[in-house]
Amino acid sequence: MKALVVDDSMTIRRIVIKALGMAGINDTAEAADGEEAIKTLQGDTFDVILLDWNMPKMTGIETLKTLRGNGNKTPVIMVTTEAEKSRVIEAIKSGANDYLIKPFSPDQLAAKVKNVVGAVA
Amino acid sequence: MDVKCINPFVESVDTVFQTMLNVQPRRQKLKLGNGQGNGAAVTSLVGISGQVQGVVVLRFPAETALQIAERMLGIEVSVINAEVVDAVSEIVNMVAGSAKAKFDYDPPLELGLPTVVQGSDYKVKYPSGTTWLEVPFESDAGNFRMELTFESN
Repeated sequence: MKALVVDDSMTIRRIVIKALGMAGINDTAEAADGEEAIKTLQGDTFDVILLDWNMPKMTGIETLKTLRGNGNKTPVIMVTTEAEKSRVIEAIKSGANDYLIKPFSPDQLAAKVKNVVGAVA
Repeated sequence: MDVKCINPFVESVDTVFQTMLNVQPRRQKLKLGNGQGNGAAVTSLVGISGQVQGVVVLRFPAETALQIAERMLGIEVSVINAEVVDAVSEIVNMVAGSAKAKFDYDPPLELGLPTVVQGSDYKVKYPSGTTWLEVPFESDAGNFRMELTFESN
């Protein structure tokens, strides 16, 4: 099981990677913005993508729409401070599989991941 | 600035510090701010725009900034480095994001990308006549201050 963590904050990427370990996923890659994520996904495949919304260069929602527009069906969990209902609806309509609002506990993230990709631990 | 606008931000500080740092911040008495560093070693700020606009500023003494990074990252840090800057940047991002959702505007308010300033010899400039409100906090991770200016368009 392999995960791509996309967030412009190195701190959040580390926290997410630690939480993924709790979910039994230790094979991870990182991207600091949407453009980097798209490039990474052109050369590799993943079982799940953890995607921030507010990032420089290409936002998470733009990244998600680009991926789905390109036919990429990798499960995506948005991990973001964007907590308004309309944001959640926009993300789900755009192809997100789940949504986790920051701040979050590692347990919450691990549970979301297990829910989306199945228990892997 | 309507003082009631402060409450969502104070609640968000509480939630973010408890969830991400396992720390219970204790709010102190509200006062007028001045947009200046006032001894802070690290300041993180983020703009909010939309039907209302403003700036959320968190000011940390060095010891508090180090504590925040240690608690978030689970590592020991002794100097203000890129990891500390990133950690406090994400704290203000989460506080502002969590607070803006409580206003529940449609369309949602927009968050800028956080900025971090090191050192205290500065002043945040904003349109003249802007009122800054300051909420000091005490916590087991150290003291810090939140300063806000927030106006309807």
